[in-house]
Amino acid sequence: MYILYTFRNILKIGVAMGTPLCILEEKRKQAKSRLEEIGYFSDTKIYIGMATCEIAAGSVPVMEIFKNELKNQKNIYISQKGCAGRCNLEPTVEIYQKDKEPVKYIQVTPEKAKTIIEKHIKNGEIITEWMGK
Amino acid sequence: MEKQKFTDRFSTVFADQNFFKKQKRIALKNCGLIDPENIDDYIFANGYTALATVLSEMTPEDVIKSVKDSGLRGRGGAGFPTGIKWESTAKQVNDEKFVVCNADEGDPGAFMDRSVIEGDPHAIVEGMAIGAYAIGAKKGVVYLRAEYPLAIKRLQKAIEDARKANFLGKNILGSSFSFDMEIRLGAGAFVCGEETALMNSIEGKRGMPRTRPPFPSVSGLFDKPTLLNNVETWANISSIIVNGAEWFSSIGVGKSKGTKVFALAGKITNTGLAEIPMGMTLREIIYDVGGGIPNGKKFKAVQTGGPSGGCLTESMLDTTIDYESLTKAGSIMGSGGMIVIDEDACMVNIAKFFLEFTQSESCGKCVPCREGIKRMLEILTRITDGEGQTGDIEKLEELGNMIKKASLCGLGQSAPNPVLSTIKNFREEYEDHVNNKRCKCVVCEKLITYTINDKCIGCSACRRSCPVGAIAGLPKEKHTIHEDLCIKCGKCFRSCKFHAIDKTSIAKEQK
Repeated sequence: MYILYTFRNILKIGVAMGTPLCILEEKRKQAKSRLEEIGYFSDTKIYIGMATCEIAAGSVPVMEIFKNELKNQKNIYISQKGCAGRCNLEPTVEIYQKDKEPVKYIQVTPEKAKTIIEKHIKNGEIITEWMGK
Repeated sequence: MEKQKFTDRFSTVFADQNFFKKQKRIALKNCGLIDPENIDDYIFANGYTALATVLSEMTPEDVIKSVKDSGLRGRGGAGFPTGIKWESTAKQVNDEKFVVCNADEGDPGAFMDRSVIEGDPHAIVEGMAIGAYAIGAKKGVVYLRAEYPLAIKRLQKAIEDARKANFLGKNILGSSFSFDMEIRLGAGAFVCGEETALMNSIEGKRGMPRTRPPFPSVSGLFDKPTLLNNVETWANISSIIVNGAEWFSSIGVGKSKGTKVFALAGKITNTGLAEIPMGMTLREIIYDVGGGIPNGKKFKAVQTGGPSGGCLTESMLDTTIDYESLTKAGSIMGSGGMIVIDEDACMVNIAKFFLEFTQSESCGKCVPCREGIKRMLEILTRITDGEGQTGDIEKLEELGNMIKKASLCGLGQSAPNPVLSTIKNFREEYEDHVNNKRCKCVVCEKLITYTINDKCIGCSACRRSCPVGAIAGLPKEKHTIHEDLCIKCGKCFRSCKFHAIDKTSIAKEQK
């Protein structure tokens, strides 16, 4: 009887420790390690707009160029993103580099994407005339 | 702290652009920042903190109090206080309750809901789970338009991922609370954005509104108490829980708290989505955020609220964006469409456009809407065709007011608004159409006269393009148009490469 009582108490403590917030914290750690695996914490992150509006403006070929050209580059994370709201300037591409201001390119075409990769990603030259105001 | 990061991440990325400077992002906080198809990205961006907080530390009463204190009001357009809706649904005693998300975005030119779902689908899942906890529901339904395939795909993935991670399903995050949700597709009927018609549609019936009361909070989906909110309302919930009701109510003005997402469209430099704090003036939105009118044109009017709203003129540009002020000015907040109109547009024609839309979308259940709008459209068509009669404007007003009072649901009650507000603010344009048979802006086809000027070199391109042979003239000589034969199709105007054809609208003598 006593053993059963203690067992029940242990269970209770177990439940108290596992509040939803603690469980979420645990999940966040797991999420972080999964993100690490896919390169989320790379020094260079490239976000390409892929909402319906951006796709209609032509972001799919832009995405393909970034993915293909940078396939073998390490320390670069490429991701899609939703629409930030700049309809007339789509497709948009954002480049975050460690310790630098994020750069936002507008109306990116496949040709522009190639130039951005050559100049900005590989040589660190920011193409100011293609940035949004 | 983390809390600060939650909303400010957006401004650190985008604040250098004029378009974003004056914005404040709550509902769209993650749109454009995270990968919408990766739940880890959302969790890492502080996602599901609100749900875990609610399940760990708050009773359903606390949640409702928080939403009530925040001052959040329905973002679908009518602006009913969300907290009161939650409270009255929670009070109902029933073994089954539902939460529903209205994502049937039907206003022409509006795409706020699509952007939220495509950019941050987990925000809806989290918001609805919190709502379900507060009112004691176990099941949620998102009524989403079938015209949004990408939004459907992303929301479906979000629901599946959330289920796998135990943010949905049984005993969410180890608590005793269970909740699951599904997507129901709408077939694109505008009336199904009306809450009772929406519920009929989910039940598999014809999308027609029901009489209220009983309100959905008492007897809604499958006659069970139902909490129904708009996408944007749901997207606000997690921020309110994480940052606190006080923080939320500190944003905004008067009885309108928080922010509102607007879809800027029409003759405006920066078209797009803008989330602005309540209390900003229309002028700030149009000129500071939107960048003004392109091509040096003059501002004429701004239409808010889509086919249910009204047109506001330049003198009303200093109206602040909040539910009461916009209603007072003669329009409505609406779900967030904002169409800017420049001097080239004919207001009668714009009113006709919106009325054509509501007329074809009327479900036909109640007579004022079904018959009344049709009659109004007939009169408007007559006016734009140059066959307007004295008294037509008054008849439009009388009919419009009658439809507003006697219709069953929001569609009919608001359908005459575009007509009534343009009559109120641009009566002289209507009178010009009716009395002088003239369209000052040269838009209404039947009121246009085509003439050939001296720039004509006699290339005969217009003569060959005319389908009724109304243009005569020898090659290399100036051509002429026979007005009696002209059907005003405009083909000659488009075919001329020498700007030799004038499009005018001349006042005709009164009969």
